[in-house]
This record gives sequence, C-alpha cells and structure tokens, in this order.
Amino acid sequence: MLYRVIDAHELPALVQAFMCDYEVIAPVRSGKSFAFEAIDSFDDIVLDYPTTLTSLKKYYLPPRETLFEYDMVDGVTDYRMEVRPRVLFGAHACDINAINALNLVFEDPRYPDPYYEAHKKATMIVGISCMPGDSCFCHLLDAGEVRSGYDLFLADIGGRYLVSIGSVEGADILEAACDPREATDEDRRAFRDYTRRRQRAFNEDIPSVQEIPMLMDAFHSDDFWEELGSRCLNCTACSSVCPTCYCFDIRDVLDPSGKTGRRERVWDACTSPQFALVTGGHNFRPGPRERVRHRMYHKLNGFNAKHGRYLCVGCGRCVKACKADISPIEVLRFFEQKGIEDGERDAD
Amino acid sequence: MPTSTQVAVGPLAHAGSVLDGAQLMAENPYRPWEARITSITPLTENEKLFEFRLIDERIRDAFHHEPGQFVEVSIFGVGEAPISISSSPSKSGFIELCVRRMGEFTTRLHQMQCGDIVGLRGPYGRPFPFDDMRGHDVLLVAGGLGIAPLRSLINNIHDERSDFGNVTIIYGSKNPGEVMFREQFEMWRHRKDFDLYLTVDNPDDTWDGEVGLVTAPFAHLDVDARNTFGAICGPPVMYRFVVEEMRKKGIPYDRIYMSFERHMKCGMGKCGHCQVGHQYCCIDGPVFNYWEAKNIQGSM
Ligand SMILES: Cc1cc2nc3c(=O)[nH]c(=O)nc-3n(C[C@H](O)[C@H](O)[C@H](O)COP(=O)(O)OP(=O)(O)OC[C@H]3O[C@@H](n4cnc5c(N)ncnc54)[C@H](O)[C@@H]3O)c2cc1C
Ligand code: SF4
Ligand code: SF4
Ligand code: FES
Repeated sequence: MLYRVIDAHELPALVQAFMCDYEVIAPVRSGKSFAFEAIDSFDDIVLDYPTTLTSLKKYYLPPRETLFEYDMVDGVTDYRMEVRPRVLFGAHACDINAINALNLVFEDPRYPDPYYEAHKKATMIVGISCMPGDSCFCHLLDAGEVRSGYDLFLADIGGRYLVSIGSVEGADILEAACDPREATDEDRRAFRDYTRRRQRAFNEDIPSVQEIPMLMDAFHSDDFWEELGSRCLNCTACSSVCPTCYCFDIRDVLDPSGKTGRRERVWDACTSPQFALVTGGHNFRPGPRERVRHRMYHKLNGFNAKHGRYLCVGCGRCVKACKADISPIEVLRFFEQKGIEDGERDAD
Repeated sequence: MPTSTQVAVGPLAHAGSVLDGAQLMAENPYRPWEARITSITPLTENEKLFEFRLIDERIRDAFHHEPGQFVEVSIFGVGEAPISISSSPSKSGFIELCVRRMGEFTTRLHQMQCGDIVGLRGPYGRPFPFDDMRGHDVLLVAGGLGIAPLRSLINNIHDERSDFGNVTIIYGSKNPGEVMFREQFEMWRHRKDFDLYLTVDNPDDTWDGEVGLVTAPFAHLDVDARNTFGAICGPPVMYRFVVEEMRKKGIPYDRIYMSFERHMKCGMGKCGHCQVGHQYCCIDGPVFNYWEAKNIQGSM
C-alpha cells in the first residue's frame, strides 16, 4: 500500500475530479444530524461530521430492491437493473469495516450475490479519519482502523492529509486532480500525534473486555438476557441503522393488473417477532429474550466462528437509536460486572 | 474509466447465453427456473405429491440433488417456500415434492393443475451422507411430514439396496389417515427389503400397525450399534426423544443425522432467517449430525 500527502486546499479539486464521472455521495448536514447524500458541490460536505444516523449499507443492499419481474402464468420476464458509477466520499473507518464484513456474506464464493456485486463494482470508497463520539467503541472490536476495502483513505494531519492509496483507480484520480507528495518526517510525526490523540478520545466508560466470544457462550443462559430482552419494543430500529445487519425478507408484489409482478428483497430484522416463526406456529425465538440475545450472539460470537471477525464495528448507531437502551455496550458492561464479581470472589 | 454495472435477468438474458445450465443457475441464484407440473397425486386429506419437470433443457440437465436437500419453490405472484425433495436422485429429469397444505403458499400450490408453471431454484443444503452410509445398517425415523425428505433417502437406498445392510424404517403419524406412501412401504416390507414399523397416536378400527409414539418400536429393536447410521426427520419436539433412544442403543453421536426445519427465505446463507447459533440451516444444514447439533447454541 502506498501513502502520499496532499494539502487540504487540494480536496475540492479531488471531489471535483470525481464529480466528472461519478455520482458523489458524502456526509451532509440533515436537520440536527448528519446523513450521506448525493451532493453537487464540495461546499455541502461536512468533513468532520459525527457518525451519521443511518449507515452506508443502503448503497450495497437497498432497503427495497427488485430481484426480477414475472408474468404470473409463464414465469420470469425480462428485467434489468443498472448501477451508475459512484463514490462514497468521507466514510469513517468503522463504516468501511462494516462493508468489509458484508462482503464476506454477499461475496461468499458458494453463492456470490449478483445484485450486491453490481452495487459494489460500481462503487468507490474514499475514507476519512474521525474523532470518536460518546457512543463510539470501534477500537474495542478491532474496527477502529481500516486496512483494506477503500480506494483512498484520508487521514487529517492538520492542514494536509496523509492519503492511503488502496486501488489503481484511486491512485489515478488522486494523481490527476492533486499533487501528491511523499510523506516527510514531519508528516509522519503529525500522523502519530493524530492517532494518539484519537486513541485517548474514546469514551472510557465503555469497558474493554477480553474474550467476548467466549463470554457470549458462557453466559448464554444467564438471566441478564431476560432483563435486557424484556425492555425490547420489537421496533427493529437497531437493525435498520446498523451498518452490518444484513437480514432480509423476499416478497412478491403484484402490479395493479394482477397479471404481472416483481420479486423484491426488503430489509428484515432478527429482532422482529415473526422472524424465526414457522408454519404451524412454532417460533424458534419466541420472546425478546431469545431475539435480543440472538442479535448480540451473532455479532459477538457467531459471525466470528464463520468469518474470524466481529459483526459489530462499534459505530454506536444502535446505542442512539434504541429507546430501550439495548446495545452491545450493555453487554460489555454486563461482562465487566461479571469480571468484577469474579475478582471479588477470588479475593475472598 | 468508470462504467455502470448491471444485472440482467429473464428470457433475453439467458436465451442466447453461451453458459451451460450450472453456470446459468450460478449467474443469478435468486432466479427461479420455470418448471411444469407433470403429475399430482393426492396422498391424504392435506398432502399431495407433485411431480415437476424443469422446462429449460440446460437447467434440467444440470439439476442434480442428493437426499436431504431442498428447493425453493416459486408461485409467481404469491412467493416462495422451501420444500424438501422427496424423490430419489435416480429419478432424473423429474422432481417430486410432497406438500402439506398449511397457509397461503401451500394452499395455492394445492389448487394448481397439471401443466401449470411454478419456479424452482436449488437444490440447497447439505444432504444426508449417503456414500458414508453404504455398507452399513440404516435406521430411519420419520414423524409426520418428516417422511418427505426421508423418502428421498429411502428410495435412493432402495435403488442401491445391495450396498446396504439392514434397513429399518420407523414412521409415526397422528392418525391412520395421515400415513403417506403406505402401499409402497408395505410392498417393500413384504419383499423383505426393509423392516417397517408404522405407528399412530390415535388408531381407528382399521389400524393394524403399532400404537403410540414414534419411540415405541425401539423397545423391541435389535441394533448393531457399531455398524448403524441413524436418520431422523420430524416435528421439532420429536428430535430429543428419538436421539435419546438411538443413543441408548449405542449409535455414535456423529452417526445420528437429523434434518432441521427453520424459517427460510434465501436458501443461500444470506437472509439470516434460518440461523441457529453460529450456523445457517440452509447451507450448513438442514442435515446435521447430533455431535454438530450439540455444538450449536440453541439448536435442540
Ligand atoms: C428445509 C425445509 C424443508 C421443508 N420441506 C417441506 C416439505 O417437504 N413439505 C412441506 O409441505 N413443507 C415443507 N417445509 C415447510 C414449508 O416450507 C412451509 O410449510 C411453507 O413455507 C408454508 O408456507 P405457507 O404460505 O403455506 O404458510 P404460511 O404459514 O401462510 O406462511 C409462512 C410464511 O413464512 C415463510 N416460511 C419460510 N420458511 C418457512 C418454514 N420453514 N415454515 C413456515 N413458513 C416458512 C413462507 O415463505 C411464508 O411467507 C419445509 C421447510 C424447510 C425449511
Ligand atoms: S433492541 Fe432496541 S432498537 Fe432493537 S428492536 Fe429492541 S427496542 Fe428496538
Ligand atoms: S450493533 Fe450497534 S454499534 Fe454495532 S455495528 Fe451495529 S449499530 Fe453499530
Ligand atoms: S434461508 Fe436465508 S440464510 Fe438460510
């Protein structure tokens, strides 16, 4: 991987260069918060934005997506979906890590997903460094830094950016639009200062816990889940805002004629009561205890078993979205409490 | 230079394609392939056996399944449902599904006629270990509709009967009227191909089989534990009891196979519906052995 330095005043030219050929999607102010939206001017971008309300997953897995169209009698008819080239400009490390996790599912070589692939192939990513907010805990789940999955990553080192170049396409545009130079000793020092400052800025009230997957297993039948689950309102907000929740439903939608229709996939959530219900009325996760636990278990244990990484990137979105105060942070707190109790017992 | 990407699906996209059937199916695994209903046999009040033939010859030639696998069946305009393949792989060119009328999808399927078109995609899932079972005794236990996937295994064993030792089928139903494929099984019993125990919970005057739970016949069953594979399929409550009986007979943990039912949508390890613990029932299962099942949080 190559690293170069550009000056901050070169950034508009970089965005401008993307605008020629790509739809540029970037963080903008949206009411009291921030959101990713298509922009047509560099000035709309808020470079030092706090985590957006919703994530970038919609650009890979739209909330509602047509898979194909059909005639009710004869079957599949012709359908074509097209994705125009676009760039996600200004993605934070956690969000790029989230897309890297989604890739593992949708690019699984057994069943590569053609729709996801189409979105992915048309999408470039330019990442940007950030300072953690109150509910950020990416650093506790190996997602605070990102080492792949972007075309360019811009680290703000004060009036200039240390640019990590992740792809040839990214390098081409960077070179055409800016005047990238090699990093000096001073640039490297500035980068080190930045990473230290960032490391110190994380909310220390969120406990750092070792061996989370093991604890998820050990406390699988603990009453904690009853207490946590009993607060759940089944609203599924957590899954909607989560950059790594990828569950979906597949549905048929008929046209007004009643003769033709389309098959769609729409976001679904394991916190929804019917999610594991089968015909005949048996529900494999009948209560909020089982559902909330399952969501956490998949993120903090199950996905690790399959893919060697967490399915939570610690972005903190569900921490803010959940009206019932249910989030991975609560799980970490519970484990920390258990650890303290163990310590007290050892001391006896 | 950046380019747009696209997904094209439909007759135009595949008519002139140079891809073979397997490649066509892989190109877009969400696309169901049209299949015609070629025969419908009512089995009980609520169950029918459907036979399908895939229309596109390339797909038909590329479609191979193993016992224990399932397909996603489409009724265009209604939706999809996962259904176990009930026929033996040896019955090539045709696919049989045994379907119980439950809710909207299965009711609509029951209303369809010969010649009507549905969509099929698959086959999905991990099958029973048919080749490992060769040379061994096999003890098959089905409860109710669980006979549908097991029938594929039973028929396949029957096709290659000389490769197997003693084969025992225990098949439990609620009522005598719900017993499926009885004539065929009785004929095979008569020809000493299989040992057969049919049990019902609620017998009527005509019933001459056993009465009681599907575990009842275990009492007088002689099992060569070191040489036996178990295969179980039935309603969720049944597994624990049958596994217990098989363990009592001494069948090793990793030779007791069972097929799990879960809510399924995609069949490809993506939609999340079928998850148990860290596993996806659709691609890691639906067939698991007991040792694996014990190692999945929340599976039994
Ligand atoms: C691996 C597997 C094999 C199966 N094999 C057979 C078989 O051989 N014969 C048979 O009759 N049935 C089988 N089933 C059950 C069958 O899929 C359901 O009976 C069917 O989906 C019910 O649809 P419905 O619209 O009639 O019922 P409803 O209760 O009206 O609808 C249930 C809804 O949940 C969805 N769903 C997805 N998976 C399931 C599920 N497992 N159970 C219930 N609903 C589900 C359906 O698509 C539908 O949208 C199998 C299920 C699985 C998972
Ligand atoms: S955990 Fe919170 S956000 Fe998620 S469904 Fe329950 S109440 Fe809603
Ligand atoms: S579970 Fe919550 S904190 Fe973790 S990635 Fe999802 S939204 Fe972010
Ligand atoms: S059915 Fe979709 S993940 Fe298994």
